[in-house]
Amino acid sequence: MTEPLEAAEPSASTPPTGVAEELLDVVQSVPGVSAVYPAQPLWQSIAGAALSAVTGEPLPLIGLTDTAGTLAVKARIGVSTPRPAPAVAREVADAIRRHLLPRAAAVEVSVVKVGS
Amino acid sequence: MNYPRDTLECGHSLAELSAYLDTGQIADPAHLDSCPECQAGLASLRKLSALGSELLSSDVADAGSGSDDWMQSILDNLRLELRPGRSIPLQSVHPDDTLWETEGSISALIRSVVDAHPGTAAGKCRLHGDVTTPGTLITVEVEIAVVYGHSMEERADQLREELARTLATHTELAIEAINITVTDVLEEQP
Ligand SMILES: [Zn+2]
Repeated sequence: MTEPLEAAEPSASTPPTGVAEELLDVVQSVPGVSAVYPAQPLWQSIAGAALSAVTGEPLPLIGLTDTAGTLAVKARIGVSTPRPAPAVAREVADAIRRHLLPRAAAVEVSVVKVGS
Repeated sequence: MNYPRDTLECGHSLAELSAYLDTGQIADPAHLDSCPECQAGLASLRKLSALGSELLSSDVADAGSGSDDWMQSILDNLRLELRPGRSIPLQSVHPDDTLWETEGSISALIRSVVDAHPGTAAGKCRLHGDVTTPGTLITVEVEIAVVYGHSMEERADQLREELARTLATHTELAIEAINITVTDVLEEQP
């Protein structure tokens, strides 16, 4: 797995990049999480794809959007564990939410791979 | 080899993935780390390749050419199933959380359970029913190809139990039935 590089120019709508990196650590440290995939697949983000092709930088793994004070967080994960994948997804959402406290968050977690 | 023409949603094709298995070469290796569908595709192609060897064919490419309809059919199904598919909702604790499993992750899970059995390869792995509405009764359709000599009935029963356990653990789907059909019995070459 590759670490995302710092985004070059955070815009007004983009939260500080440090938060995304912190959240990546938080997600990866939940037992059963085997991988974190780019929040927005490359082929769904033409602008991102073009930028990525130019800079060679991978797309961010944790998606963050700040909307009126609520942070929308998006994570796509792989789960490899005897523990139930739905439980792991809930723990990931909970861990993200706790980490951001007292800030309000809307967390979306997609399990895109189960098993090795 | 006569691969289905269509590519996966990420733009890669089964032919490219197969070439990667053979040569270790692909235009953007980093993509493989970031694409669950390509990862699932590689796992299935590895199994097909191993089964091809068991049938004394030199590799997937040879085994899949022309007359080997079974492998072509498996590849056709892979092309259809190697995509995110529908979003299957999971229960969340917090009302502002939205949790999903992709349909593709579950069909790949089913294939991996089938493919873990020796002499067995998964063909079609489908979830029938509205998986996007919790509680809807879902029927699982699985087609398998088995090498002759591996006991079919026993294999299907074992597989059904194993799939039921796995799906009960890793999904919240209400599984009504798991239908397993042996579509092909493969003869080892003398
Ligand atoms: Zn891909």
